[in-house]
Amino acid sequence: MSASLEGDRRLILAMGGGGFTMEPANPLLDDYVLTLAQAKEPRVLFLPTASGDTTTQINAFYARFGGRGCVPTHVSLFRLGDLERPLAEIVLEQDIVYVGGGSMRNLLAIWSAHGLDELLTRAWRRGTVLAGISAGAMCWFEGGVTCSSGAPEPIAGLGLLKGSLTVHADGEPERLPVWLKSVRVGALPGGWSADDGVGLLFCGRNLERVVSSRPGAGAGRVDAIAGELVRHRLEPELLGSEEPVIQPLLDDDVRELRQVQRLRREMTGEAQRFDDA
Amino acid sequence: MRTRTPQIVALGGGGFSMEKDSTLLDDYILALTKARRPRVCFLPTASGDADHYVVRFYRRFSALCEASHISMFRRDQGGRGVEDDLASHLLAQDLIYVGGGNVVSMLGVWRAHGLDRVLREAWQHGIVLCGPSAGSLCWFAEALSAFHGPPRRVGGLGLLPYSNCVHYDAEPARRAEYHALVGDGMRAGYAADDGVALHFKGTKLDRVVSSRERGGAFHVRRSGGRVRETALEVSYLGKRGGPGKRGGGRASDTVKQPGLPAARAVALA
Repeated sequence: MSASLEGDRRLILAMGGGGFTMEPANPLLDDYVLTLAQAKEPRVLFLPTASGDTTTQINAFYARFGGRGCVPTHVSLFRLGDLERPLAEIVLEQDIVYVGGGSMRNLLAIWSAHGLDELLTRAWRRGTVLAGISAGAMCWFEGGVTCSSGAPEPIAGLGLLKGSLTVHADGEPERLPVWLKSVRVGALPGGWSADDGVGLLFCGRNLERVVSSRPGAGAGRVDAIAGELVRHRLEPELLGSEEPVIQPLLDDDVRELRQVQRLRREMTGEAQRFDDA
Repeated sequence: MRTRTPQIVALGGGGFSMEKDSTLLDDYILALTKARRPRVCFLPTASGDADHYVVRFYRRFSALCEASHISMFRRDQGGRGVEDDLASHLLAQDLIYVGGGNVVSMLGVWRAHGLDRVLREAWQHGIVLCGPSAGSLCWFAEALSAFHGPPRRVGGLGLLPYSNCVHYDAEPARRAEYHALVGDGMRAGYAADDGVALHFKGTKLDRVVSSRERGGAFHVRRSGGRVRETALEVSYLGKRGGPGKRGGGRASDTVKQPGLPAARAVALA
């Protein structure tokens, strides 16, 4: 973990796609989410709001995070009668809040109706890690591109993070051009695009790291300068690989250390997180 | 576009989602459309578009009607839906049936998609609006929303200038909560038991009907510094059977029965 994470504890991991709902056989991104919390056994709250609280998403969440050294729970804003304690109390005691994908327009409307937007902003300031995929990733930015009403269109977000985000940049070809056009004409501020499997980690308001659960997936930064788009590609760090993506020569000590780590992981099973991460 | 009397049927509970063995309320509502094969659109928004709810809707209505539903969470799937299509589909219906669930979540979603305006227009054009629970509360100016935490006073679409309370017999605390809110300044309004439907023509309560012989409905208001509750006449829609009949006929404030009718059994659902 990079040193700057020690300072600002306001962390947001925005995923372009992936995680337990999209990568049932690949836990790399979700494991990475867990490492972002300081707690040894982090409390993880799942918000499936954007999907309409589908049992499919909720079941997938528990299937992934159950037995993973954390305390998983979820809140359905459509079934608040199930809650045993006030919503604010539950939200503010979490180490991680994980927001699922779906309709971003509905997500923000329902959060606002229940005051959850303010609660989550407070949680973020207090050091609760905010994570999410798709609509659950774009919602933290000033804006994104949603298909909530059918065709992709720009939409405003909560604005905790500056700039805009577009998701599934490789998986949904019709979304990216709408984003690029929106940035060019000024309907959205410049920002980031993330492929499926890519997570952008923000510390405070700064992009700190770009990680990926899939080889070949990427991210990009786009700004409109004098009506022209300026694009940069961002190369993610591939999660779960022992060696860095661009492999330098390793000396024997490092080799040995990594072998030990690999052995330890195999012995403890993939359900165990690395404590030395 | 037809121009007919605006009608709303607000169910305290019941209909296809809650009454597997009784079609009385749904049949009553369908008959109001006067259509031989009514176009009926289901809005399951308050349940988060729960699949099982949508299935139950089609099971009840697809044989009798041109049945459709609108999912506000899956608008990216299927045709390239746009805002206008949503409106024109809804405005072509004979009946719009709103499902139960969380009224706050539902109104949030509706407003975000401009559906509040479309539904008001539909009502003005005489498209029958109905629904149980959240599908009842939403039409009123104010409502008692009874999910977790202290009972909340929530604002609805305001087509009907009253307050509303549903499942009045289902929870022991419901009556006291509603009385407290009305005593605290919430406008006067109507409470309905499970299985009881308040039928409004325009903004006036026209009739109260029930799928259950003992179903009750009440007008609750503040008067002379205290909360008064008046039992309304309820027409049972089924064939008369055992004891506990309520007289048929029109809803009327002339039935004076202030306070809680002591003889009335409070059914716990």
